Amino acid sequence: MAGSGRHDFPQPIKELLVIRCRRRLSLLVLAIVLLPSLAGAAAVGDQAPDFALPATAGGNVRLSEHLGEVVVLSFWSSHCAECAAQLAALGELQTTYRSAGLVTLAVSVDDDMLRALQFARAHPARFPLLLDRLKGVSRAYGIDRLPTTVLIDRRGRVRFLRTDYHQTDNSYIAQVRELLDDPL
Amino acid sequence: MRIARSTWLLLLPLTLSLAGLPALADAPAANSAVSANPAVSASPAVNTSTPPSPAAPAADAAAAAPAAGAPPAAAASGAAPADAPEQPADASTRALDEQIQDIKQQVVDLNKDLFVLEEELLFPANTQVAVFVSMDVGEFFGLDSVTLKVDNREVSNYLYTPREVTALAKGGVQRLYVGNLKAGTHELVALFAGKGPNERDYRRGASIKFEKGIGAKYLELKISDRARRQQPEFEIKDWE
Repeated sequence: MAGSGRHDFPQPIKELLVIRCRRRLSLLVLAIVLLPSLAGAAAVGDQAPDFALPATAGGNVRLSEHLGEVVVLSFWSSHCAECAAQLAALGELQTTYRSAGLVTLAVSVDDDMLRALQFARAHPARFPLLLDRLKGVSRAYGIDRLPTTVLIDRRGRVRFLRTDYHQTDNSYIAQVRELLDDPL
Repeated sequence: MRIARSTWLLLLPLTLSLAGLPALADAPAANSAVSANPAVSASPAVNTSTPPSPAAPAADAAAAAPAAGAPPAAAASGAAPADAPEQPADASTRALDEQIQDIKQQVVDLNKDLFVLEEELLFPANTQVAVFVSMDVGEFFGLDSVTLKVDNREVSNYLYTPREVTALAKGGVQRLYVGNLKAGTHELVALFAGKGPNERDYRRGASIKFEKGIGAKYLELKISDRARRQQPEFEIKDWE
């Protein structure tokens, strides 16, 4: 219609336009979801990002001081139901393999530091519990679910990344042993 | 179906990640120990040698043992114990070993040159400002962290581990911060946190206004014990 400023497209073309718009929208959503994870989070094979964090027991702990040792880096929160069980299991692992060069570090992602400290007192661990108040370490490792465990080899490289924990699953013990057997 | 340019732009990061980034991650990290991650930690380590890790000597011994065992094993597995055929093999092995050692030394020298070049490129002398931390004795103060602000902007927040504090107490000097500033008057504020006398939480600050000229500027944060007052003392020195 002349002068109306509005085009009436035939039905098939309308459907095609809708499909194209949906595809572009889904691609846009996919890109927005993927880009942060691609931007800088540590992946398997990458050099583990170094950090220094305060420990609940006092003092600071720096990851790079453990080069030459196998590091189990576990992210936990006082809100996470499985985290307490996993920390206990990691304590057993630490006791068993400490002399072989295993170091365990557990990083809290709690927003409330007081709650994290209360959790730490209620669940004493045989390894340092660290407080990531500014979430810088969590961002560097791309933590998006809990519990997440990162296994770092003696050269400081991320070798395994586990985003779940089951009490009956001992496959991570095999992974730790593989890293401990790997000479520097 | 033709795909629009905007769609390609959206797909580009995904394509790169699938095709290229894992390969880039395998690139030799010659300066990986130098380039600290700015997102989580401040800068360089204390300028003292760290003790070798227990795994390293064990690994070295383990590596040496097979290496030491290999030539005798090779000699033993030789068919006839004729010395003449074995000598060229030993000589070629020795020559190869020397070549390898030469290449290693070249790599180390190249790495050193690259590091110096990187420093000169990123922090040219006419704009460079470096801040160092030193500690004298440290009986009255257990250092935990230092926060630096230049012109009211936080530039560094460094947490100290017990090993680093020990190194400082033994006389080590740490380059806490290196950056670029234009010529003129600037203000540096340093906040020290730790444990003071009687194991109480202790926070002190020190500040200095300095003139940044043409050359590089070096400032030292000195923590010392004032025995008369049984208190730590914090001062900022300008290395003229």
